[in-house]
Amino acid sequence: MTPLFNDDFQEFPLKRALAQVVGKREAGAKVIGAYCSYAPVEVVWAMGGVPAVLCAFSNAPIPKAEETLPVNLCPLIKSSFGFIELKTCPFFELTDAVVGETTCDGKKKMFELIQKHRPLYVMDLPQCPTNEGAVAYWRHSVNGFKQFLEETFATTISDAALEESIRECNRKNRLVKQIFAFGACKPAVITWQEMYAVATYAMSAQGPEAIAQLEEIIATLTARREQKLFTSKESAKRVLITGCPVGGDVLKVLKLVDEEGAAIVGLDSCTGLKPYADVTEEGSGDPLLAIAKRYLQIPCACMTPNTGRFEVLKQQVEALKPDLVIDLVLQSCHTYNVETVKVESYVREDLGTNYLKVVTDFSQQDLGQLKTRIAAALEMN
Amino acid sequence: MSLIREQYTWDLLISTGYGRQLAQKVLGGDVITEIKAYTTAAHHFHPEIDTVIDLGGQDTKALSINLSSGQLHKFEMNDKCSAGTGKFFEMMAGSLGLSLDELVTEALRGGRSVEINSTCTVFAESEVVTLLTSGVALADIARAIHEALLTKLVSLLSKVMRSDSGAILFVGGGAKNRAMVQLLAEALNRQIIVPEYPDFYGAYGAAIHAIQSIRQESI
Repeated sequence: MTPLFNDDFQEFPLKRALAQVVGKREAGAKVIGAYCSYAPVEVVWAMGGVPAVLCAFSNAPIPKAEETLPVNLCPLIKSSFGFIELKTCPFFELTDAVVGETTCDGKKKMFELIQKHRPLYVMDLPQCPTNEGAVAYWRHSVNGFKQFLEETFATTISDAALEESIRECNRKNRLVKQIFAFGACKPAVITWQEMYAVATYAMSAQGPEAIAQLEEIIATLTARREQKLFTSKESAKRVLITGCPVGGDVLKVLKLVDEEGAAIVGLDSCTGLKPYADVTEEGSGDPLLAIAKRYLQIPCACMTPNTGRFEVLKQQVEALKPDLVIDLVLQSCHTYNVETVKVESYVREDLGTNYLKVVTDFSQQDLGQLKTRIAAALEMN
Repeated sequence: MSLIREQYTWDLLISTGYGRQLAQKVLGGDVITEIKAYTTAAHHFHPEIDTVIDLGGQDTKALSINLSSGQLHKFEMNDKCSAGTGKFFEMMAGSLGLSLDELVTEALRGGRSVEINSTCTVFAESEVVTLLTSGVALADIARAIHEALLTKLVSLLSKVMRSDSGAILFVGGGAKNRAMVQLLAEALNRQIIVPEYPDFYGAYGAAIHAIQSIRQESI
């Protein structure tokens, strides 16, 4: 079967993303580290910069982080912080500046501890997105980020450059969305490893080269579908993953699904389709407002109400027809954890689909229990 | 397992429980999770029961069964640590210098004079030591240890139980604990049914599943 990417990074999507960042940096681009899908990458690209995702998913640096941070904190925050302390995160080491958002309390306070290392801007994110003034306020945050970049790198970011960047990102986002839509094929023609690779690649790739690569992937997937080259068995149970971002050591949950012979057909998280699911209005006359509007629609559990999450789940379940929805919560992520109450009831009662909640961290200690849980949920009819 | 392989023959073998994959590797056959095994056995022996609680050595599960189909409707499990499992009793008995049987006997005599708030085995141990050194009766401490775990079981059950659920089937090694059975019945105001060999219930389920599979194939 033809791989989606014809390069040397087959099993290493992060190294592929790193190569993108390094390539652009060598060509003179400033590298802006980001911790969240709310970081408006259009502004970074408009400056001629390149975004690099700094969220880490490795258990290895956590003991280092726990020398400073509380043990009962989200593993993603501990891992990201530990890497910085150890100076072993290649992405962070390449950054010229970092953007954070007030998405989550743990991250917000962690940013205060890392600001000594890099120029850092923290965007204040309103968390009642439908309240009066929320979009206008968030526009101020986006503008603040733009001004921070302009001052830090002695440059200007014009409206025309922002419009061009919006168009480029929209084009890319539409293609990524098209790729994820292949998840609807039954039997599957795309694996979760491939979806994850596409989502990881698209974060730091932009321009004609990226568009050509994504179009080539669509052609490959179309060929697989037409030639009936399936990545799962006809009888394989189908699984949609929703919830917290996943990567690295927490991919253990997804690997366990593979071990049970089931097929993951969708990744509804910030390391999946979520950052690419929407487009920004083009030619609005106020690109910062257009960006603010689109980003405030991201359905993260930090928002209340988070009605968008349920709309997305409905669309995803209808399109992908999963037998099971796994709601993956990282330990100490209170918003996603509490939201599972509503998600479970919605998935079971309104969408009529089986549901499994998994709370985990980056360690291997719960592998045995997770295997039993996932296997039992997949045994159900 | 090598002994089993040498001494027995079978038409179909189903392994279950945490060692299921290892058993399959050595002996062949198929695997099902203990959750499916419990569901199968429960519906076979007690088709009128829709709620099952399994108190095992390393985890605790609450199951809700669809009475008309006999299929699992939903299930809940304890968090990843040993808190809220049978292991908790073992550790607590150890810190009191009692055997498991003695702990149960003490608990049945004890009253509700104190509370143990933690089911974390490490924290609970320090609570127990504090109670002991402040002169609380051993029986009351034993009772409090059971009450602490009871809270966990009730919260797990409340996630799967329906208001019209009748008797509850209690399986796993923990079901041999008479004090726990009595406290659970009082807390839920329901009849608690304990099978004769609660710790072999998963094995029954696997065997029944095997028989059902053979029958289905021969149809």
